[in-house]
Amino acid sequence: MASSDWLDVNGWLQSIVGWSMDQTHDLLPNEEYGLGPIGSVNPQSGFSSIQPALEAFFHASIMCTVVFTTLMLTMLAIPYIERKFIGRLMDRLGATTTLRSLWVGESGATAGEWWDQLPFGIGTPIGWTINTLNSIWGNDHELETVSRVNNRSYHGYWFLLPGFFQAFADFFKFATKEHMVPKDADKVVFEVAPVIIISTTVMVFAFVPFGPHIYAANPDLSLLFMMAIFGVAPLGVFFAGWASNNKYTLIGGMRSAAQLTAYEIPLLITVLGVAVLSGSLNIIEIVDFQMGEEEGNVWNFFLMPLGAALFLITMIAEVERIPFDMPEAEAELVEGWWTEYGGIRWGLMFSAEYMRSYAACILFALFFLGGWEAPFQHTLSDLPFLGGVFSTIFALIPGLVWVLVKAWILFGVFVWIRASLHRVRTDQILEFGWRYLLPLSLLNLVIASYMRLELYEGGNWNLWVPAVVTTVSLIVFLVYIFDEDEEAARLKSRPYSTQAVVKASPGSHRD
Amino acid sequence: MWLGAYGPDTGNLSVLVWCLREREMMMDLLQEMGGSRMHYNFPRIGGVKRDLPHGFAQRARSKLELFLQRIQEYEALYDESTVFLVRTQGVGYAKAEEMVNHGVSGPNLRAAGVNYDVRWAHPYSVYSELDWEPPVERSSIKGADCYDRYRVRVEEMRISALLTLQALDKMPGGSDTYHEPGDPKILAKAPSRAPEGTSGYHHFEDSRGESMFYIAGGGEARGKNPYRVSIRSPMFITIPYASKCMIGYKVADIPAIMGSFDPCIGETDR
Repeated sequence: MASSDWLDVNGWLQSIVGWSMDQTHDLLPNEEYGLGPIGSVNPQSGFSSIQPALEAFFHASIMCTVVFTTLMLTMLAIPYIERKFIGRLMDRLGATTTLRSLWVGESGATAGEWWDQLPFGIGTPIGWTINTLNSIWGNDHELETVSRVNNRSYHGYWFLLPGFFQAFADFFKFATKEHMVPKDADKVVFEVAPVIIISTTVMVFAFVPFGPHIYAANPDLSLLFMMAIFGVAPLGVFFAGWASNNKYTLIGGMRSAAQLTAYEIPLLITVLGVAVLSGSLNIIEIVDFQMGEEEGNVWNFFLMPLGAALFLITMIAEVERIPFDMPEAEAELVEGWWTEYGGIRWGLMFSAEYMRSYAACILFALFFLGGWEAPFQHTLSDLPFLGGVFSTIFALIPGLVWVLVKAWILFGVFVWIRASLHRVRTDQILEFGWRYLLPLSLLNLVIASYMRLELYEGGNWNLWVPAVVTTVSLIVFLVYIFDEDEEAARLKSRPYSTQAVVKASPGSHRD
Repeated sequence: MWLGAYGPDTGNLSVLVWCLREREMMMDLLQEMGGSRMHYNFPRIGGVKRDLPHGFAQRARSKLELFLQRIQEYEALYDESTVFLVRTQGVGYAKAEEMVNHGVSGPNLRAAGVNYDVRWAHPYSVYSELDWEPPVERSSIKGADCYDRYRVRVEEMRISALLTLQALDKMPGGSDTYHEPGDPKILAKAPSRAPEGTSGYHHFEDSRGESMFYIAGGGEARGKNPYRVSIRSPMFITIPYASKCMIGYKVADIPAIMGSFDPCIGETDR
């Protein structure tokens, strides 16, 4: 079954391209032209023989452009989210200060109540919401908030989305910089490595659907193909580290290769669990299984929370963000494998890094959070009175919006993790990957197979399955967090020491 | 400042920004006292230049109480993070005997269980009148690892804040008195230069260990300058020892070990 969405970009393109090809066909003369010794040709019938191929070509190239444009425009939000959110986390400011900081500039210069300037009074609910939230969370005093916000630097000129176009400025800075190759570098590989990294990263998005009808390609085994492409970039990282002929880059590249062995296998087994549960290796069918009215209809997140956690961890390792960013550990390796790159190559590789993070977020949304389905869409649409309202609203919002919102929120989680964790060592991630992630992913696969074979009887899931799974997982998680055996926790917290630690405090030592 | 610098060393940036905020708080106090942000030009031999400004005690007290609460937040960010524990525990062992033989002092030594603090062992100034104990970590038999050094520094921050609060409470005549700069009570304790033929030596506890100062007066012939000033800075001794601690660990451990010794290159070169 196919999911319905009014934003049918693929369908529109197909009809537009088909119509224009038909027009071209009709415009061509329908008569024989002699070509001397070769024979004769009829332009119209000759065109009809190549028309399907032409249609496919134009359709695919326009679709690629559409997907790439969508990717680039929506990816602007990713560095913006990172900068804003990490700034807020580091400042420990209040919830509404975060909102207000969007329009409070240096030394208290604000754009005022900007919502009053929006036309037709559409800003009134915005102003009302902000004022209400401010009064609830104790940020109602303007000066206090302004001074707290000013703990950070200038928030930009364009008050609605300050800092949003910083990415453009960065791009032009990188684009105009000189390209330098180190004297002792292996010049061919040095130039080839960025091409490998960037091209494979962009290629990932060929198989990532932004919506039910917005994708560049949709082969039957898109999941397998995409995971394969996702794993190529670390090879380019290794090339780059080796070719730069610098000890920092070499260590960075080696670490990338070592890290690859730790996370790639658990990642693939976790994804295999998703495929088993949904019964398909096609991403769009996986999403359809989560939102279908005849079958599935439960987000995978509620069916395998363990798999979701594993996927999140391994994906963070895959895109090399803190706490798994050893290849580019700036404290010990300067900048790791890209120390020697500069100018536009560095800029493109950096954006490729963010693209991979973004792809990871989108994949999490597609695999576990129902892709382009609104939260609890069917439940809300089946409500007795409000159901009609909800289903109208859901029909109006294209699936693209839900995918993007989910991906951005997940990127917020990535940033949150980055702001609160330290960096692990290479041997520690190997130990973590092989001793914990791999057995857990196998367990996840077993659970997924059992659920698919024994508990799933076709049609919709019995609602007690996700309820039980989620509850049990939540209980296990809570027990794990609030471990009450303090003696064990105290001993465990110092695994390498020969002797338990007594906290030093006044009075604990007397000569 | 050390705590903030240790965050990026182990891969966490947010703690740096948090610590810079608290540093700013303290810098404001010091600027109020000395007039500039970095070089206060405030202490004199045997005293200080002028009295504390009006209302300083009250502001310092409120800021210190806030600081004591903030320390708990840092502990939450560091101690409750398993990643930080596995990065610092069992890494960079430094034995107490070796450190004593090398002349390492300060928190690095106290982390290994040696209770030597100049303020405590040879009290100077008003330290004998205050009720306090230096924080000492009971480390394992292998010596002090990075986590021990981290713990002892955090406790030290807490005790410094408590000490300052106590000192403000016990200030003779109350903390709200103020003497004008020309007041003999202030000037009597602070000679503006060392007279000819005299020399003085003292050792005291620095934030990084034991500092020693030797000064010989120069007299009129040398203008205002003393004949000789000699400084023993603790970092000059600690940094060579820290490099010995790294033997046998991984490249990724270098920042963690080096950072845990609180290196300050500017202080080394004196």
